[in-house]
Amino acid sequence: MSADFTFCTVQYDSGDWDSAPLVPANLIDSVARYTSIRVAPTGVSVPLGSRDIFRYPLAYLTGHLPVRFTDLERRTLREYCDRGGLLFVDDHNHDVDGVFHKTCTDEIARAVGPMKELSNAHPLFNSFFTFEDGPPATSHELNGWGDNLIHKHLQAVLHGDRIAVLYSNKDYSSEWGYHPDNKRFMSVDNTKFGVNVVVYALTR
Amino acid sequence: MSAPMTTRLDIQARVQQAAESLRVARVSRLLLSALACFVSVWAAATAIDTFVELSASVRQCVLPGAAVAASLMLWVGRAQFHAVTVERAALWIEERTPSLRYALVTAVDPRYAGRVPELDAHVNTHRYDDAVRSVLRGVLRGVLWGVVRQPVFVICGAVVALLLLPRGSVARVARPSPGDTLRREVPAVSRDPLATLVVVVEPPAYAGMPRTTSEDPSSVRALVGSRVTIRGRRGSDAVYATFDTTRVAAQDGDGRWQLTMTMPGASSVLTLASGAHRRLLSLEPVADSAPVVVLIAPARDSILRRPNGSLVLNAELSDDHGLASGAFEYIMSSGSGESFTFKSGTVGATEFPGEPKGHGTLSARLSIDALEMRPGDLVHVRAVARDRNSVSGPTLGVSETRTIRIARADEYDSVAVDAAPPPEPEKNALSQRMLLLMSQALEKKRRALAKGAFVAESRAIALDQTRLRKRVGEIVFQRLGESGGEEGDALDRRLDRPTNPDSVLAAADRATVANSGTALEGNADETPVVAVNRPLLEAYNFMWSASTELELGEPGRAIPWMQKALDRLQAARSAERIYLRGKVRAVVVDIAKVRLSGKDKGIASVRASRPAADPGRALRLTRFDAMVELAARLPSAAADSLVLLRLEVLAPDRDAAQKLEAAAAAVRRGGDVTAAFVAARRALAGDVERRAGISLWGAP
Repeated sequence: MSADFTFCTVQYDSGDWDSAPLVPANLIDSVARYTSIRVAPTGVSVPLGSRDIFRYPLAYLTGHLPVRFTDLERRTLREYCDRGGLLFVDDHNHDVDGVFHKTCTDEIARAVGPMKELSNAHPLFNSFFTFEDGPPATSHELNGWGDNLIHKHLQAVLHGDRIAVLYSNKDYSSEWGYHPDNKRFMSVDNTKFGVNVVVYALTR
Repeated sequence: MSAPMTTRLDIQARVQQAAESLRVARVSRLLLSALACFVSVWAAATAIDTFVELSASVRQCVLPGAAVAASLMLWVGRAQFHAVTVERAALWIEERTPSLRYALVTAVDPRYAGRVPELDAHVNTHRYDDAVRSVLRGVLRGVLWGVVRQPVFVICGAVVALLLLPRGSVARVARPSPGDTLRREVPAVSRDPLATLVVVVEPPAYAGMPRTTSEDPSSVRALVGSRVTIRGRRGSDAVYATFDTTRVAAQDGDGRWQLTMTMPGASSVLTLASGAHRRLLSLEPVADSAPVVVLIAPARDSILRRPNGSLVLNAELSDDHGLASGAFEYIMSSGSGESFTFKSGTVGATEFPGEPKGHGTLSARLSIDALEMRPGDLVHVRAVARDRNSVSGPTLGVSETRTIRIARADEYDSVAVDAAPPPEPEKNALSQRMLLLMSQALEKKRRALAKGAFVAESRAIALDQTRLRKRVGEIVFQRLGESGGEEGDALDRRLDRPTNPDSVLAAADRATVANSGTALEGNADETPVVAVNRPLLEAYNFMWSASTELELGEPGRAIPWMQKALDRLQAARSAERIYLRGKVRAVVVDIAKVRLSGKDKGIASVRASRPAADPGRALRLTRFDAMVELAARLPSAAADSLVLLRLEVLAPDRDAAQKLEAAAAAVRRGGDVTAAFVAARRALAGDVERRAGISLWGAP
């Protein structure tokens, strides 16, 4: 069976791109559980500097450590976004100084463009499940932006109405970082927003 | 004098006689042909066996096959047994006497009897009786010999061949039996007296097993105590055998060497030697198993409320070579405290005479009343059985033991759980922080307290400080591999003079992870042993100084030491925080399972540990490969090596042992050994194990 969707984790030279190894499986499980999208049972890891990334409409990037893209990575990321890809970046860092946030947003601004606050009424929040209050909060959300505030919005780089880069400080990487078989122990599935991201990336 | 008149009836009788003679000739030829077939097959098989040794199975088929061929011939020619009609006999005569001009056929035909006077006259005129008589005399005689001559010649030829062929080969075909390879008389091509062996194993009488014979075996597998006779083809030629430390010389018997020995109790290699010739046989004793005894009743241990009634006892017995006897044994213990008495005995003793029986049962009743048991008494019951082993003595087999107890009156309706008190908490050690606070508070009260009371309180704190120091010392020296425990005084003696922590740690480091570790915490050049234990040793020394000051009634001077000790204790806690992170296994999501569209196989995901790899397997394979190479140059040596290897793998891998035995036999036979070697190597290498995977639906 050929898959409509394969979860793609972005490898980048700096930092720890593989800090959340269970997130792909968990989101694949959710996509299979709630949608009829033909989804590949395992995700792939693709270097950001590789042109293989163009085969995947959604790319997931996370980490704890400072992020510095190479020139090739910046060029590839810019082209990826221009060609309709969606880069979903989640800050996996808990430190007060927000080292990931500061360096990553700087790199995204250099590569794709400045980010701005994403409205909670954006179609992303209604693409599959409805999140009336915007992005769901997590139990790991502290102060990843380095400003000691819990933000009610996500950030994004928009190309027109379409999200090119979706940036989260919610630490979904920790929130969703568990084996999908353990989902049965949860009263409410906390990965539903991930399904919205996938469906949005595949339909916009 | 005129010749007597020949009547038609005389002629008919004469022709009837000719018909009978013809029938006898045909039957004789058929029977002789069948006999010739039988004897020919026998002689041909014997001749073949003389030059090419036929296997026992082929030889066993020779005579039955010859009999079948002869029977088939009789079946095909069964029409020859039928009577020859008068008309056919008359025709047969007229064929050989044309002068009769077919009048004989008409004369014996009943349809013309008395109707043709001319025929009667013709018969009289030509004296048919004389003609028929002459035919019967001359023609028949020649005909009879003609028809039986061919099979008689064949029979004679075959019999002569059988008489000329070696008698051993004739007997091998006539009466094939295991071990008759020695009867075969072959040209003296090989001078090796060990080239052909026949091994006869006679199990001990108690086993009731038949005698077995094997030809050219690589190994001899027999019950311990069996009589093993090894025979060779030629004379003794100073053949002798050695195994373990025993040496047995061969003796002559019927012009062939033979030696007899008793199967030992342990596996060993029997070395046969004659001059420069050597041959190995592996001796594989089969031990007589102890009887298997299963106690059926009582099925489990039990507690009886009252000491009366009887226990029903049942047991099933089995043995590999026959049971001799069985019984139930009991031991009763009564009493309490240090005063116990015991009583033992047997019930239900049963003998198993006559033919060896592999299975048996025991039944009996054990009277509780007769045992006079009292509350609290115990009776242990088991079944025992002995086999018939007369070589090493009867082997005893026992069942599980059941225990029956008589309940005490005070334990009715109670739960028999021995209460255990909770562990004693650590109550006598105050924390360093508390001691520090106490010292600071005491120092503040210095002016308000009398000198004696102040010093007494200070010494009380010093006592607690010393106790805590000993506790820290125990921890440190337990970690460094020295006994701490209750040897507080010894520790004190060891550290009475506060030593340099570096020297202690250096010694411990050398004894544990010297040159192998890297720093986890602390200085970069410290090993984990040093990094974790240095703060505790330093705290120990600071506590020593603090307790010394407190003993002198100077808590003010003790406080800095106590603060340093507390600081080092905190450092030790930090040093022990080690975080390790492993690589997370890649997760493959079962899409069908998530969407509930698959099928649950209902298999629990039980994981069983795999057996450890056999470290000797690779070594054995290497040795086997060397034997393969050796087989091309020195087949005899290769066969001996295979026998030795077989003996090694006999216990761990019986399948490989069998394949090795076949390979050794193939090498000794000569010819193509590829298949045997391939099978042996595959068996040695082990099969690829197919394991049922973890259930796709199971938890990871």
